[in-house]
Amino acid sequence: MSDVPTQATASPYGIKRREFLKVVGVSGAGVGVAGCSTENVERLMPYVVPPEEITPGVATWYTSVCGECEAGCGIWVRTREGRVVKVEGNPDHPVSGGHLCSRGHSSIQGLYNPDRFSGPMVRREGELKPISWDEAEQMLADQLSLEGSHFLFTGFGGPSLMGVFEEFTKNIGGEVIRFDTLAEAPLREASRIAFGADVVPWYDIEKARFLISFGADFLESWLSPVRDARGFARMSSVDNQGVKGRFVFVGSRLSLTGQNADDWLPIRPGSETLVALAMANVISDSGTNAGPYRDIIKAHTPENVAEATGISADIIRELALRFSEAETSLALGPGVAGQHRNATAANLAVTILNFVTGNVGKTVYYDKPQLNAPVFGYQEVERLMQLISEDSLGTLMIHNSNPVYSLPASSGFKEALERVPFKVSFASAPDETTALADLILPDRHFLESWGDSVVRPDLLALQQPAMQPVPYFDSKQTGDVLLSVSKRMGHDLGSATFYDRLRTLWQATANSLGVTDYDAFWNESLKSGVVNTGSESSQVISRLRKPDRAMTFDPPVFGGAGDLSLMVYPSSRFGDGALNSNRPWLLELPDPVSKITWHSWVEIHPNRAKAMGLENGDLVIISTDHGSLEAPVWTYPGIREDVVAIPMGGGHDNAGRFSNGNGVNPLDLLPAEAEVLSGGLVHFNTKVTVTPTDQRKPLSSIAGSDSQSNRPITPAVALNTLLGGVVEEEGHHGDLKELQGVGGFVPVETEGRPEDFPLEGSQHGEYGDPEEPRWAMTIDLDKCTGCSACVTACQSENNVPWVGEDQVTMGRDMGWVRLERYYETVDASHAGPLDVRFLPMICQHCGNAPCEPVCPVFATYHTPDGINTQVYNRCVGTRYCANNCPYKVRVFNWYTYTGKEPVHEGLGHAPEPLNWAFNPDVTVRENGVMEKCSFCVQRIRGVQDRAAVEGSKVQDGDIVPACQQSCPAEAIIFGNIRDPISRVAQSAQNERAYRVLDEMINTQPAVSYLKKVTFHDVESGEH
Amino acid sequence: MSSITQQPRGAVPHPDVHSLDEVNRDVLKMLGRPGLGWWLLFGACIAGIGVFFGSWGIQMVKGIGVSGLTSPVGWGVYITSFVFWVGIAHSGTLISAILFLFRAPWRQSIYRAAEAMTVFAVMTAGLFPLIHVGRVWHAYWLIPYPNSRFLWPNFRSPLVWDVFAVTTYFTVSAVFFYLGTIPDLAAARDAATGLRKKLYKVISLGWRGTDREWHHFGKAYIFLAALAAPLVLSVHSVVSWDFAVSIVPGWHATIFAPYFVAGAIFSGVAMVITLTVPLRKIFGLEAYLTTKHYDAMAKLCLLTSMIVFYAYLSEFFMAWYSGEEVERAAFWARVFGHYWWATWIMLICNGVIPVMLWFKRVRYSIPALFVISIFINIGMWFERYVIIVTSLHHEYEPFAWGVYRPSLVEMGLGLGSFAWFGFWFLLFTRLLPPVAIAELKEVLHTPMRNSPPSYVGGGGEE
Repeated sequence: MSDVPTQATASPYGIKRREFLKVVGVSGAGVGVAGCSTENVERLMPYVVPPEEITPGVATWYTSVCGECEAGCGIWVRTREGRVVKVEGNPDHPVSGGHLCSRGHSSIQGLYNPDRFSGPMVRREGELKPISWDEAEQMLADQLSLEGSHFLFTGFGGPSLMGVFEEFTKNIGGEVIRFDTLAEAPLREASRIAFGADVVPWYDIEKARFLISFGADFLESWLSPVRDARGFARMSSVDNQGVKGRFVFVGSRLSLTGQNADDWLPIRPGSETLVALAMANVISDSGTNAGPYRDIIKAHTPENVAEATGISADIIRELALRFSEAETSLALGPGVAGQHRNATAANLAVTILNFVTGNVGKTVYYDKPQLNAPVFGYQEVERLMQLISEDSLGTLMIHNSNPVYSLPASSGFKEALERVPFKVSFASAPDETTALADLILPDRHFLESWGDSVVRPDLLALQQPAMQPVPYFDSKQTGDVLLSVSKRMGHDLGSATFYDRLRTLWQATANSLGVTDYDAFWNESLKSGVVNTGSESSQVISRLRKPDRAMTFDPPVFGGAGDLSLMVYPSSRFGDGALNSNRPWLLELPDPVSKITWHSWVEIHPNRAKAMGLENGDLVIISTDHGSLEAPVWTYPGIREDVVAIPMGGGHDNAGRFSNGNGVNPLDLLPAEAEVLSGGLVHFNTKVTVTPTDQRKPLSSIAGSDSQSNRPITPAVALNTLLGGVVEEEGHHGDLKELQGVGGFVPVETEGRPEDFPLEGSQHGEYGDPEEPRWAMTIDLDKCTGCSACVTACQSENNVPWVGEDQVTMGRDMGWVRLERYYETVDASHAGPLDVRFLPMICQHCGNAPCEPVCPVFATYHTPDGINTQVYNRCVGTRYCANNCPYKVRVFNWYTYTGKEPVHEGLGHAPEPLNWAFNPDVTVRENGVMEKCSFCVQRIRGVQDRAAVEGSKVQDGDIVPACQQSCPAEAIIFGNIRDPISRVAQSAQNERAYRVLDEMINTQPAVSYLKKVTFHDVESGEH
Repeated sequence: MSSITQQPRGAVPHPDVHSLDEVNRDVLKMLGRPGLGWWLLFGACIAGIGVFFGSWGIQMVKGIGVSGLTSPVGWGVYITSFVFWVGIAHSGTLISAILFLFRAPWRQSIYRAAEAMTVFAVMTAGLFPLIHVGRVWHAYWLIPYPNSRFLWPNFRSPLVWDVFAVTTYFTVSAVFFYLGTIPDLAAARDAATGLRKKLYKVISLGWRGTDREWHHFGKAYIFLAALAAPLVLSVHSVVSWDFAVSIVPGWHATIFAPYFVAGAIFSGVAMVITLTVPLRKIFGLEAYLTTKHYDAMAKLCLLTSMIVFYAYLSEFFMAWYSGEEVERAAFWARVFGHYWWATWIMLICNGVIPVMLWFKRVRYSIPALFVISIFINIGMWFERYVIIVTSLHHEYEPFAWGVYRPSLVEMGLGLGSFAWFGFWFLLFTRLLPPVAIAELKEVLHTPMRNSPPSYVGGGGEE
């Protein structure tokens, strides 16, 4: 790569908001230096020749594409002294829009995963032994020259890499088998049947005014969670005109997406097809515009499906009318968790519903499909296993996939793989599949490698390495390995390196765009991180096609005994968890729904649990005909009484020190079955028996109470009340008024808005300067989806340690953001309004902070600009501040959780090189010290210092805390509230603004929340 | 001494003590060779101290995480033990200083043991703030002194007040205790031989019992008593403000200072009973510690028990009457929540069991008093546990509610502190006259002129 000239330049391209940040394009050689270990301080070496692009103490940013899931979010990678320390969304990229999810943030823990392979390995006498790259590549070349067919098994990857795969396998007479664990194969098949478009369509959630999800978890794991969360938040939050989009969730279990709905139809498992068809019936007047599906729609009147769905005809009719009468509407298909034996029919029913409502071309686009969507189902794997059983497979190469883990045990894939004579894995870290591999050729992490992505035909992006490979791990990009092996076998694929190939391929793109100066185009693409050739959708689809295959719209048959249907759903933290589970940030991130960390759980409705004598934390054995497993119960009112659910992502045994032994893999309960029409793996198809044991496992949960207990924590306001102009004062207690009437206790009137700090009479010393800013934040709870991206973003930015399962169980989780989740109205027994409240609780930076006066050593005090600071070096650890904090946002370092070795039985430690991910701008704390949200004070000071050096003024929006930066829902605004035109000041003036507990205890927080807006009336006395 | 002591009113306090000589003999006899029982107890205490410092060492090396403390319960057994021991420390000064100033006739026999208890209890209590902080190696930052950090402690923090209150209290009660023992040390010196004699010689500061010495002694004693008396109220008031100035529901109450002082006296007197009953039995001090003394202490217990119980009830009433949801929920949780058992132990031990003290037969029954006093000790420990732990576990933010369970290390430190205390107290019973010889003599009948000469206090050496 060294022959590529250096072209790195600072660029203000599109990033005026943060001009000081350097987003640069990397060119071959000067990727950066490998980070220097501080272990041997006496041997520190100065830069004799300082590397270009690196100014010690100043971050360098690179654009790239997130490789965590198929969505392909454009990212900015922050590096310091040659090390990646943070990943953020690229604001120029239309998918991420500048935001990122927890998995994206955690990717740097994949980069620094301490359990990554140290280099190529070969299995000799059952043990993996190191081998040189030269030997390893020769070995692979030799094996591929042997008799038999040689297949390459892969998950997702960029088009250039897939091109190499295709060409490579073609030359050796093999094939590429693609398998997506969370495949939307039925959706693609339904699109093909309905419109002849063999693609996953592009959904524009933002445009819809009325949204129905038939189980699709678009905020968590479906197609493109970050983009969809942004679209959803924009669509579903109330705007200045008082318009608020409505969202209805139809499904047997509330996912996080479901919890964000305004109404919930808890349908019988697998009956969404019927609801969709019945709605189409109402909307299209018995199917007049449904073409070939007319008769089917005609038969599905709301009355006819009421019994089978468990939803009354009136409700379906009303829903259908609202759906069709809305200005724009959109229905989303069942998603992976709801993929049953008739999944294609279900997706087709939803597609028909969208069509008859006229949404195609308005909110659903088939001409601009989501090219990178996961669509490769189980059928191909079955074909592969057939070949194996015939002993006709010589070598199987596995890339970016962990099929032994992510296929049900009943598929027999593991046994089949064992029969393959030579198994090669390109995994960079151990997993269940590498445990069987004969040769391991560790791939680079996506933050170390070149690649590209095509999200949509008109949306391209380059993935570039943001740092030199982590020196502990002698890795090589799979593209390069295959090019080299191919050469050894006598097939020169035309490029010396994958980088060359990528450049060559992009030349074609450039040509098609009419680019004359290719080098400039290349550099510009690297700097901006995205090439958007965008064009408006022009396609008009006027008719539905007749199904070309025999199909039925009947509800699916569930196998197995018992009366509880098992729902196995993708975790919002891990997705399927096949490759990303060894990450303490993700493991310790409380699941947005259950708030449980580290281990797996079984969701059972409280009534059901009660009938079975079960409580939270009771271990139960879940068994089907295909397997059984043991997991603790978590009672959840958001699941039907006849359904139990288990998240994916747990139960690893060879995925690394953090991941092994946590939880269970629910796929082991499922039969390996491909849906007949699409070939996708069926996830929702079996009944289970739940057998209580007399054992318990305390839940490693951060949830205290699920109820607000009648306190003004997350009050809401009904849309009607809001439009009426009067925000009804909730939270005044009847009893209190009575008592006040007779001269009883009267609470202190709240004085002082955030911008009024310091209050009159309390000014002393340096605190009186009216020119000082007061930093403040607003969080719009009508936008917040509870996705918890802010939690991980904060953890990454602020070096917040993880503490391990045992510590979380004790209550010692250290997240600076506690995403609170309160149930207000959650009723699984019938269709109706749903109200789950989310509240990201951070330090409120109170003007009248209870923590400050009680600290004996001034470790916490107020800065003149209104930040409640915590000076770690002063703290002696009396913990009085935490006791006196009514918001309980202060977390304590009970042990030194940041050392290389664990100091307690748990996993709260950062072994080399995981500690490379620490942000050098923030102190790493030791045992005995209190900490909490600092409003990202290092960013504030960074911007202020920069402005001082440049002689400019800090502008509104220059300072963006990590949580705001990350929030896909754009719910957080930060700024100087003393500046009346700042966004935060204007947002705090909103009539929905309130401050948590302030009216009760006069803490005068700097954080204002905007009340959630509900469609249903919020009962008086209910907050 | 007669200049400062009136003739006792009422009945003669020690009808079975016939001569001043006997006092010296009986008391100094206790300083003789210890029996097997003492050694066994002493050995147990040494072992307990091993557990105590061993646990602390583990905590210092590994981190405060070895305790069960967590969020939201940041204080637990350590602060409970701190308040408990400060409370125990109370009755000593109350008995020695306040009752001295009020001329209560029954204090003379018990005050020495009570004072010793005070000093050792403060020595125990003072360790717990050190134990409970996260970085004990920086705990000295709470002390105001000109330093390189250019930073004074935060005088608004009750924890800083605590530092002052406890160190002041310790200093004054230790000086007061030592001053009171000087004449008796001289008596011990006169009776002792060998190494002990040398020790007593030094620490009795050459006391000869001259008029002039007695005169100065009396003056110093009454001044110190006057100085110590307000501390009885102030120390525990300050300790109570550790809680009362916070905004934690269940802590934030104006009643806390008197409530805590009463509770401290309650527990302190109970602890005096617990300690002196075996002392009396083992050393045969029935003539000096009579049932009348115990009757008086029992009455004090009864009074403070009622004050404390009134405080409990008024807290519950105020929680309801205030109409504050959070306060109500906190007190509801206190009685019926996760820690209901601790609350009921507290209510029964401190409010219900002491009701028996209304009966004279109970007050005059030493075994009954001993058992009741142990219940009170348990109850008062749990009172602090209830106030600290139950209040913290159920605060404002429902989503942050949580529970705390003490760990083995905490239990080791909590129980080990009794060994640490016992170690000093056992040493005290062997090294210092546990009953005040000189003062006791003041309340005996003045020897008649025709009876054999018997010199009070430590006589002259010649």
